[in-house]
Amino acid sequence: MANQDSIISVRNLEKKFGNHLVLKDISLDVTPGEVVTIIGSSGSGKSTLLRCLNLLEDPTNGEINFKGENILGNGFEITKYRSKVGMVFQSFNLFNNLDVLENCIVGQTTVLGRSRQEAEEMAMEQLKKVGMDPYIKAKPAQLSGGQKQRVAIARAVSMSPDVLLFDEPTSALDPEMVEDVLASMKALAHTGLTMILVTHEMAFARDVSDHVVFMDKGVVAEEGTPEKIFNNPKEARTKEFLKRYLNQ
Amino acid sequence: MKNLKANPLLTFFSAIIMLLGLAGFSSNQVHAEESDTLRVGMEANYPPYNWTQQDDSNGAVKIDGESLYANGYDVQMAKKIAAGLGKKNVVVAKTQWDGLLPSLTSGKIDMIIAGMSPTPERRQAIDFTNAYYTSNIVMVVNSTGKYANATNLADFNGAKITGQLGTFHYDAIEQIQGAIKEPAMKDFSAMRVSLESKTIDGYVSEKPEGISVSSANPNLKMIEFKRGQGFHLDPSETQSAIGLRKGDSNLEKVNEILATIPEDERDKMMTTAVHSQPKPATEGNWFINIWQQYGAMLLRGTAMTVFISLIGTIVGFFIGLLVGIIRTIPLAKSRGKRWTTRVASFLASVYIELFRGTPMIVQAAVFYYGAAQMFGLNLDRTLAALIVVSINTGAYLSEIIRSGIISTDEGQFEAASALGMNHFQRMRKIILPQAVRNSLPSVANEFIVNIKDTSVLSIISVSELFFTGSTIAGQNFQFFHTYLTITFIYLVLTFTITRIFRLIEKKLNGPKDYNLMANQEQVTSNSREVKN
Repeated sequence: MANQDSIISVRNLEKKFGNHLVLKDISLDVTPGEVVTIIGSSGSGKSTLLRCLNLLEDPTNGEINFKGENILGNGFEITKYRSKVGMVFQSFNLFNNLDVLENCIVGQTTVLGRSRQEAEEMAMEQLKKVGMDPYIKAKPAQLSGGQKQRVAIARAVSMSPDVLLFDEPTSALDPEMVEDVLASMKALAHTGLTMILVTHEMAFARDVSDHVVFMDKGVVAEEGTPEKIFNNPKEARTKEFLKRYLNQ
Repeated sequence: MKNLKANPLLTFFSAIIMLLGLAGFSSNQVHAEESDTLRVGMEANYPPYNWTQQDDSNGAVKIDGESLYANGYDVQMAKKIAAGLGKKNVVVAKTQWDGLLPSLTSGKIDMIIAGMSPTPERRQAIDFTNAYYTSNIVMVVNSTGKYANATNLADFNGAKITGQLGTFHYDAIEQIQGAIKEPAMKDFSAMRVSLESKTIDGYVSEKPEGISVSSANPNLKMIEFKRGQGFHLDPSETQSAIGLRKGDSNLEKVNEILATIPEDERDKMMTTAVHSQPKPATEGNWFINIWQQYGAMLLRGTAMTVFISLIGTIVGFFIGLLVGIIRTIPLAKSRGKRWTTRVASFLASVYIELFRGTPMIVQAAVFYYGAAQMFGLNLDRTLAALIVVSINTGAYLSEIIRSGIISTDEGQFEAASALGMNHFQRMRKIILPQAVRNSLPSVANEFIVNIKDTSVLSIISVSELFFTGSTIAGQNFQFFHTYLTITFIYLVLTFTITRIFRLIEKKLNGPKDYNLMANQEQVTSNSREVKN
């Protein structure tokens, strides 16, 4: 049953695309303030799991509890839940019709009902933290990938979420831009925000996260502290995966 | 229009018309019979029977809904009939030839006095009085052409001949051995242009029209045939009679009035008509002449075209937006909502198929004449035009906007959802601004199409630019020059619109560069200012 201390607790989650089983019997607990990284090779189901967590995908079976409440239950307010669980995408997905500042404001005013002033202050504060405040008047098309992703982070954080999900946030970036984004994420982790991230950045997973989940073929193959997973993996497939990644 | 009651499509159109009528559009029942005004339908473009002029000289009468006047043999005859019936006023409803019968049967006019012959086919739909003029069938040819000296039908062997659509003139071409029967034309203006430009060798006409055209335009010549060398025709076909609705109680009375006008008086009236028809200015620059003589008319026609296209495009855009949104609502989880969405979506696609799948000219005719015939709704012509163009444009634009919505990157939907936005918020703040921006070139395109396609509204006699042009050409007989002037105006309109939309697009795209807010202090102080 759901762990009382958990902010998000997943039980026996299953996801099928047609007849294809992508997630099998996934259980996961995330406590407040924890930074959880999900690693694994492509096609292992990590992104699907993350997308299930804010219901961009509908799970076919199982349970997801947020602060003890089943989010898959009837009558659950999905939009309200999503406003508390932010998401940063691999492809940034900044709103093309809005400039940088408005990207960070629109959710606050329309969803949270914040005043324009309040929202603008919050947006400026978060944009400053990621170093994007000089660009508030720029349109997304005028920014580089790394700049876009930092704005996307500011946009998500401006919503004052309880949990922030990152779906391979650096995978679409040129190597020299990855560091800026990772630095922003690291700074966020230190603020005590609960973060769940899917990433291929092993160094980041090892240094920043509290808990590492290794997924393979739709199941959680192994999980534990970074030391345990990176220095002392038990499962053969974890070892093989890490060998491939760390030797690169 | 014979099948009007049986056709399910028309019934559907009429249902829509009904709804619009109930929704409070200006409409009123037809009470033509009871008023003291005689409403007469004619083309006002078939001199010397009837034509359009700018003032009320020579006893012209006002054209309904326009600041123009109609005159000619038919108008003078109408005045006599009105006097005999004890009606005080005569008003001319300027109507295209094809629109005359439906106008009468739907009660928009009281009678047709338009040089119309009482053929058996027409007698099935309406009643005719005795003849009010009997004429001869002639051939009009180019006065410098190969057939200028023809004297009998046999001389037209190998000639390209045409006649007006829906008249016996056209059918009579078959009596000419070896003549090439060209497709029938809509009106006399069109035939005169063809003849002058030598795309045809001649057209079949009646003597008064022939006298008229050859006196106004020296390039054209009338060929009269001696008895036995011309067309063999039923006497009823060379006669013009007044058309009345079936069972109209005035039929007897009108015949009595006609009986008081003897043959020689009729001939005198026709001669007067030929002499008083407008003559074109022949001195000086044709372009300047057209503008001097008809400038005001052209401007009014242009304004009408712009007005209908603009309002039609704007209203159509909002209809398109609404329908486009309805068609892209994701299926909800609850069964009830899902059915509502499905039904709305089904209705929207019926609407699109119906209005995208039928020509606007047909929609206009069904809407305007059908509403009057079936429900007695006498819609204002301009209003009917606005409605038809709006609904038609809406059908096209809804597909354009729908494709704008579905082609918006999936990530935009997801990012908006991830912020906690509901469908409405997502659409309004994120998706629609992008979809609308992306569909702007298509909206501009539709606007331009509308500018041109409003010309089909001449079927319901809306005096837009093309209709105005035809009217002018019918008066001055300078067909090529008049249509060239119209072409020029259309080009100016469409070109200007293209430019305006380019500017709007540029404006929406925003500046290519953005100002880097390098000075942190300035940014902070700016945001403080906002706060205070």
